Amino acid sequence: MTTSRAAAILLAKELRLEFRTRELLTTTVIFALVVVVLFSFAFEPTAAESRRYGPGLLWIAFLFAGSLMLNPSFAREQSNETLDALRMAPIAPFAILLGKMLANCVFLAVAEAILVPVFAVLYNVSFSGVAWRLILVLVLGTLGLVITGTVFSAISAHARMRELLLPLLLLPILTPLLIASVEATASLLAEQPELDRTWVAFLAGFDIVFLTASWLMCDFLLEE
Amino acid sequence: MKNFESLFAAWMVVWAVFFLYEVTVARRLSKLQDDIDQLKRQLREG
Amino acid sequence: MKGRIALVLIAAALMVFAGYAALYVAPDEKTMHAIQRIFYFHVPSAICSFVAFFIVFVANFAYLGTRQPKWDWLGVAGAEVGVVCSTIVLITGPIWAHPVWGIWWTWDARLTSTFVMWLLYTAYLLLRGFLDDPQRKAMFSAVFGIFAFLDVPLVYFSNRLWRTQHPQPVILGGSNSGLDPVMGKVLLISFVAVLCITAVLITDRYRLERLRSEFDELRFRAESRDAERASKIPHAAREARVE
Repeated sequence: MTTSRAAAILLAKELRLEFRTRELLTTTVIFALVVVVLFSFAFEPTAAESRRYGPGLLWIAFLFAGSLMLNPSFAREQSNETLDALRMAPIAPFAILLGKMLANCVFLAVAEAILVPVFAVLYNVSFSGVAWRLILVLVLGTLGLVITGTVFSAISAHARMRELLLPLLLLPILTPLLIASVEATASLLAEQPELDRTWVAFLAGFDIVFLTASWLMCDFLLEE
Repeated sequence: MKNFESLFAAWMVVWAVFFLYEVTVARRLSKLQDDIDQLKRQLREG
Repeated sequence: MKGRIALVLIAAALMVFAGYAALYVAPDEKTMHAIQRIFYFHVPSAICSFVAFFIVFVANFAYLGTRQPKWDWLGVAGAEVGVVCSTIVLITGPIWAHPVWGIWWTWDARLTSTFVMWLLYTAYLLLRGFLDDPQRKAMFSAVFGIFAFLDVPLVYFSNRLWRTQHPQPVILGGSNSGLDPVMGKVLLISFVAVLCITAVLITDRYRLERLRSEFDELRFRAESRDAERASKIPHAAREARVE
């Protein structure tokens, strides 16, 4: 079975599993919402301020929500040792990792699809006219988050204090992603919205670097 | 020298950090060496 | 053993000599006067932290390739010493900045990258603390270490790009533009001194890991021998009763 087909099957499994209870998704969305609301107490959300701080706050909300959401990704496998079963299947180890990355990406994307309009309403920020470009930035940024986050959740699943460890490992690594995503999003909210190509290229580069690293090291991550 | 206090403070920081680290490592080293020697003796005698 | 003592003495002597040179031989800087002399230890510490982290990167690769524990030992030694050097950079930097520019800190590319790098390798050390199984600890910290090292240039460039878009006061920059030759020589001496100290620290820390591994092995042998003996006694007692 090819890696992509195996990954697709695993993705379908993860999605089916999650949509049965939807508990991970609901908790992630509510948590990100809480962060968004909390920020309203940190500064006076006038139109100008919202445009200035909004992208930053949005991405921080995604980063925090994402870091919390990524833990169950591998932790769930531990109770019934299903990861061993996956390892014994005749599929490339990278398929397992890829399937989880894609699943996490979908979950986070669903959360973002809910949060961005809510944020636009709460902070009086308009995304009209830049919707597709915004989606591009969201996708690239989320991919970077999910790629590194899934790798680190595979690592922290075996560690103590995993809920605290995962953000501790993930957030320093993601500082370039945060800068790039925030700047790209901010450029779309400017007076003359224009997609900043440098930052989009940077995001793509970030994703490629870490996806390649994950691919090269996936055997070590999924070993017994 | 102007600003000598700041220079002195920085100096002390450099020396202190390197020195304290080396001391902690060296102390653990010698303690471990003692524990190892003791274990080796135990294994030989027993 | 003797080699190590010699290395320690050489490193200490070099540090004293460098200190003397930095204080008395180096010319006084026009605007900053005495405080500028921090530069002679601040910059070498920064360079040595990079050297240490590069050693960690190489060790991580080597461990994943060979699975020999010695590479894991080198990894943790390099990471700890790198964090020590970075700590010195992050403390001496603000001590330098405050009397000269009136601010303790600014989020320019270099400072921010150093801080993030410090966080990354501190996370590396904490990760090791939370992993109990020694094989997993070595393997997973190697993977994280490689990710961290790949991230460092990304951190620097993203901050550079960002900060040039929003200009900031140029802090701690341009120290190499048109360096006075005497200053250059003093800097070189200080660099060699700090490099020696770093080498001593890494060697000692490596040895500590190696001894720890030896100790665990010996203790395992001692415990299994005791367990063997303990299980033999009931056997003998049982046999005696049967007879």
